[in-house]
Order: sequence, then C-alpha cells, then structure tokens
Amino acid sequence: MAHAFLFVDDSALHHQMYRLIFSRGALAGNTLYHATNGREGYALLTQHPELALVFLDLNMPEMNGLEVLARRAAERLHPQVPIVLVTTESTEEDEARARSAGAWDYLRKPFQPADVERLVARALAEAAGSAA
Amino acid sequence: MSDALLRFADELGAAGPAEVAAPVAELHLVTFTLDREAYGVPVQRVREVIRVGEITRVPQAPEHVRGVTNLRGRILPVVELRSRLGLTPAVLTPRSRIVVTEAHGRILGLLVDAVLQVTRIPADTVQPAPEDIRTPEADWLAGVARRPDRLLILLDLDAVLLLQR
Amino acid sequence: MSAEDNAFRELIDEYVVECLPLAERAADALVDLERRRRAGTGGDELLGPVKGWLHTVKGNSAMMGLTPIQESAHALEDLCAALAEHGGGDGAGMLALLVEGGGLLVDQVRGASRAGAVEGVAGWLTRAAAARGAATGNGKSADRRRAERRGGAEADGAPNVVRVDFRRLDTLLEVLGEGLIEQAAVAEAFRRVARRAGSTPGVPELDHAILALAKTMKRLEAVVMETRLLPISSVFGRFPRLLRGVAEGVGKRVRLETNGGETALDKAVLDRLGEPLLHLLTNAVVHGIETPVERRAAGKPEEGILRLGAVSRSGRVAIELSDDGRGLDERRILARAEELGLGSGGEDSEPHALIFQPGFTTAEQVSELAGRGVGLDVVAAAVRALGGTIAVRSRRGEGTAFLLDIPLTLAIVRSLIVEVDQERYAVPIAQVAATVRAEPQALHEINHRGVALWRGGLIQVTDGGALLGTGGQSERGRRFYVVISSGGRRRGILVDRLIGHQDVVVKGLDPALGRPDVVSGTTILGDGRVACILDPVRILEQRVPA
Repeated sequence: MAHAFLFVDDSALHHQMYRLIFSRGALAGNTLYHATNGREGYALLTQHPELALVFLDLNMPEMNGLEVLARRAAERLHPQVPIVLVTTESTEEDEARARSAGAWDYLRKPFQPADVERLVARALAEAAGSAA
Repeated sequence: MSDALLRFADELGAAGPAEVAAPVAELHLVTFTLDREAYGVPVQRVREVIRVGEITRVPQAPEHVRGVTNLRGRILPVVELRSRLGLTPAVLTPRSRIVVTEAHGRILGLLVDAVLQVTRIPADTVQPAPEDIRTPEADWLAGVARRPDRLLILLDLDAVLLLQR
Repeated sequence: MSAEDNAFRELIDEYVVECLPLAERAADALVDLERRRRAGTGGDELLGPVKGWLHTVKGNSAMMGLTPIQESAHALEDLCAALAEHGGGDGAGMLALLVEGGGLLVDQVRGASRAGAVEGVAGWLTRAAAARGAATGNGKSADRRRAERRGGAEADGAPNVVRVDFRRLDTLLEVLGEGLIEQAAVAEAFRRVARRAGSTPGVPELDHAILALAKTMKRLEAVVMETRLLPISSVFGRFPRLLRGVAEGVGKRVRLETNGGETALDKAVLDRLGEPLLHLLTNAVVHGIETPVERRAAGKPEEGILRLGAVSRSGRVAIELSDDGRGLDERRILARAEELGLGSGGEDSEPHALIFQPGFTTAEQVSELAGRGVGLDVVAAAVRALGGTIAVRSRRGEGTAFLLDIPLTLAIVRSLIVEVDQERYAVPIAQVAATVRAEPQALHEINHRGVALWRGGLIQVTDGGALLGTGGQSERGRRFYVVISSGGRRRGILVDRLIGHQDVVVKGLDPALGRPDVVSGTTILGDGRVACILDPVRILEQRVPA
C-alpha cells in the first residue's frame, strides 16, 4: 500500500538523495512531497494529515526545523504525523531539545539509505500498532 | 558469459560431480590413491597439490584432523583423509601429498598416499555405488566411475570436509 | 564508506551543481573579508553566511562520502569560528589561510567527480590545524567541543595527524609478522651453519649483522605496534550517555567517574573491549546500585558512583570497574550454584567467582536492559578471548569491583618456546612465572597428582605430554617444568626442553581445528614449523587430571 512522505530541506541535492532512496526496494511506489523551506513545509504538512513520516532539516534560512516543530506543537497540528529532525549536530542536548520540541526521532547527517529505511519501518509499525 | 553457463558454473561448485545434469558431458577431476584404491575430486575445488612438510599436531583437534602445516606463511589444517574414509592413518612416504582444497569458505588440506593425475572423464561413465556398499557413514561417497584401467571412487568434498557433526 | 561505494554516488553531478556555487561564494566572501579586515573596514558580517555555506558543503560532502572535501570545509568552519572569537587583528595569519583554503575547496568541489586529490590540500590542512591550535590555545570552539564529545574520533584539531584506514595498519602488521618469521628463519639457518663453519672468515660479521637485524626488527615492531594504539578513552567516551539512559530506565541515579583514559591499547583489542565493559557497567547500574530510596536508608548518597579506571603495566593493562552499590550476596550465590549443580567452585576459587558461570543470575527483576540474553559468563568469555582475565571482589552493602587484566595487543606475543615429545609449543611470557629444572627429588605425588615445592609453597605439576595428548611420560622423565601463573593460580608443566624466547606472530585457530581448551592459537617458528600457542589462562582454569 502506498504511503505519503514529506521532505523539508533547503538543499536540492538532499531532495535528490531522498528521491533516490525512495526509488528502490521496499520504499518504492510511495507518494513524495518536497518543500525547500520551513514555511512551505508547514503548509504541506497542514494539507496532508495522512503523511506517514516527515523528514525535516534543522538548518534552513527563515524558518528552521525547530521553529516548524514549535509552531506545529503550538497549533496542535496533526499530532499523529511523526516528524524526524535531520541535522549534523549530535550532542545529547541537541537530541533532547529535538524530542522536547516534538520530534518523533532524530536523524544525524551523514546518513545512509538504511537509516531512512529503518525509520520508515518503525514509523509504519507504530502506526499499525496504534491502529490495532 | 550467458546466464545458463554462469548457473552451471555455480552448480558445479556446489554439487558433487554425479549430481550435475549439465550441458557439458565431462567431469574434470584430480585423482589420487589411498591404500590400493583410486579416488577423484572436482578440479575446481583443488587449489594446489603440495609435498608433505612438517605436520604439527594440535591438541584436542577433531578426529580426522592430523594437524596443521605451514603453507607459505599460512596455517593449513591437514585432514587425515584415510581415517575419515575409515582406513588406517597414513604412514608418510616420499609419494605422500597434500591436496589443498576449498571447502565451507576456507582452505583445508587432504593427506593422500599419492597423486595420480588431472583427468577428464565422460559423465556417462559415472554411476551411483551399489546399494550394499553405500552405508550411512559413507556420506562422502558421490559415485563411482568405470575407467578402462581402474575404478574411480568419486568423493563428495563438502561431506568429506564437514568435520564436526 | 568511500566515495566509490557511497549510496549516492550517481548524484555526483547534482552535488557539484549545488556545492560549487556555495564554495565559490564562500571563497569570494573570504577574499572580500581579508581585504576589508586589512583595510580596517569591518567585514565580520560576512562570516555568518560563509559559515552557512561551508556547513552545507560539509554536510553534503559527508553524505556523498567525499571525506577530503568534508575535512576542508570543516577546517574552514573552525578557522572562521576562531577568527570570530578573536575579534580584530589578523589572528595568526588566519585570513590568508582562509583565502587559500577557500580556493582549494573550490578546486576540490569542482573536481569531485574525478578521482585523485587536489594538490596542496594536505599541507593546508596541517597548517590550518596548527593555526587553529595556536590561536585559541586552550579555548575551544563549540564545534571542537562537540567533536570531542562525539567520541574524539575527529582529531582534526591536533597538529601532525594523518588519517589512515586501520586496515592498512593491519596489513602493515601482517607484513611485519612475515618479516619477523623470516628474520627468525635467517637466524636459525645461520646458527646451523655457524655450528659447522665455526670461525670461517665472514661468519663473525654475519653474526653481527644478524644481531643488528634482530635489534632493528624489534624496534620496527615497537613502532608498528604503537601506530595501532588508541587511548582507552575512545571506548570510555560513549559510556556516560549510554548509562544515563539505562539508569533512567530503572529509576536510579548514577554517576560515572573515569580515570586513566589516556592508557593506550591496540585498536583490535579496544574494538572488542567495549561490549564486555558496557555489560559490566549496565549490570552494575541495574543490579548493583540500589534505588535512591534504598540508598538513603543505607546512609549512602542517593546518586550511586561507578568508577572505571585503567592503568598499564608492562605489556598489560589493568582495568578496574567498581560500584558503591549493594555488593554480592554470597549466600544467594551459593544457593544458586547448588540449583545449577555447580558445586562450590573448586579448591582455590571464591564463591564470588561463580557468577561467571553460565546460567547465573540472582536478580529478581530481569529487566529488558541487563537481560539482553547476556550473562557474566559471556563477559568472561569475551575477556578470555582477548587473552585476559577477570576477577571480582565484593563486600556486601559496600559494593562490587571487577578487575580485568588485558594484554596490550593480540597480534604479537613474546613467548617461551618449549618442546614436549618432539613437538614445539609457545607459552606467552606474560603468564610464565618461572622455568625450573625438574629434580626428581623435588617432585612428589599426592592423591595421584603431581606436586612440587616451589618458592616455599606447593604447586601442582602436570605432565606436558598428558596435557597436550602426545603420550605418557617419557622414560627419562621430563627435564624441566614451566610455572605458569594467572589470576593468583599457578601450575607447573613438565617439558622436555626449553628452546628459547621468541616474539611470535599469533595466527588464529582455524575453525576446522575445533575448540581446543589448552591452545589459543598457532604460529610459525623460525624453522618454518607450525607451533601451537598454549593458553595458560584456560589451562589454569581446568581441574588437574589424575
């Protein structure tokens, strides 16, 4: 069954990478949405409550990843949609901050396709579990 | 190389000679003697044949492992093929050799009385051994080939070299 | 993962399309910055955007496995940070370095799809690191602090550091090993020739030359072994974060104190040390340390203390891991041992050592964390596999301490070569306490077992032939015995001859050889013969056969 995924990142290269990852194997055949900044990303999130997982970059100009999460929390927008914060930072404080801001998980750059696959599998499993 | 040929090459590597239903009608073997009988193993599984140097005993090694020897700086376990086949252990002579084979991803040496030759035999000369010769312990027996001058006993290398059961 | 087998390598053109403009913008801005700083007209507002572009290039390069570009970008970020911290002034020639680095970065990104390095990058990286270190002294940027917290794997900040794939060091060691074997072969061959040639002209010179060769090889060995050494802090580093998670999961408060982090070990040993240590620490948190309530009742501070220390001693490293928790309950251990049919552990072991037996856990609560299917027997096995020993000390109510004794390296072991029934064996010197001439009158038999008087005490003595399965005692009787010792236990092994000392290159036991108890590996001696390496630790653990 096809799921929907949202990628929010200001790097065109990263969007290509996500597309590449989602073109193979188990991840192929899903619907992909792309946003190049936080505002656009927030708009797409609003329009798609069915999203299975969101990959949200931290460092973006204007509205960064944490700000997107903060606004989502404040407006209680689609709390069921899991959001993964993607970034190069990696201290415990950063992770803790991401989670308390509402991130479902944390993906460190550089990452491999397998890291993405694992997150997707877990998100889908949890969604299936909570639906049961 | 065509797909079919690649698949056949894989099969040759994995199965014993008598099991392969192949477009090629020949078996390529290395033959050697133990006691008075002649045996054969697929040539693709044989890395090389070396003279017997010092074989160092390894305490508590499994039955049928005679010891280890130095193969150009690499430690090569040497299997006492005779005892594995139910014969008395070898007495080393100048004709004794170690047949270095690949099995289960590693290399292992087979101690033999003498090496005969590398030869090709037509596949249709191979037949399974007679019922009463085949006992459960003789899992190493892959078949028998009638040659003009002798009978060749074909060995299933993977079974021979599976030392822990 | 290198760029060639990176998952995204087919996106290399897209990478260049995105990162080349960023690199060029950064390089241009740095030129601008240098000009304006020198002219005294500000320019610091450029640093912000530059760092942003460099950060993106760094991240993208990392994703693509383009490590050299990632390193350059990172070094440039560091220099920018140092410059920002410094305020005005040239800051140790940093501006010039930044401009140079910016240009190099552009070259690197432009040539990303081609193999081969850009000339000058390596030299620039070294100079940049030195300038960084000089400029900030003890002060560290947020990036450096983060890199260090990440485990210290990025030693970019230290001058004169090169990155080498560890597999190259393994190859280096392998080749060195072959060299050692060949050197031993030359020495052996010379000995045989010298016996007959005596004082023929040339022989004394050859003798000198071989001696000199041996000395050089020893030095070479020391240098190679050193390149493989890493500080144990690289293993200690990730524990605090992991333990905090464990502690929170079981409702306990714990603090980890470490010392001796600079103690160095071969990377191959370190790689296999982390897991056993982590298991011990996790066990200590889950089972050893009491809950805050219990601790208050016992008059202890609510926060439990775990101590992890390492100290090196002549070729070995002693690691102590202790907690101030509830300690081991001897009665429960003995009771559990009876349940498991283990008896009371043997003549000279304490009940505490029983916890290393399989199937042992007296914990009521098998939490998900500690009960990952790993018991202390697995830890003990892992430590033994490293050629080490583990012991435990405990006092009820006060705490437990585990003591590990690990060899510095797995690869080359200084050994005593002995001969038993015409077979030669290597005995690691670290576990040889003494070699003694076997005087018949000093050997006795008690309860069908051999004993000898040694250094004022009685030790058990085993026949080497019996131990190694090469046959019974020879009629002449063995001429020597080797006292092996480990973890407080000692035993004498009767042998025929003592051949000498040799640094042997350890070659693992081929799986075809099964799992011998008395032998830990094989090696090739100077004469080309294979010799088994005895495992004194395992031998000492076994009961003496009658």
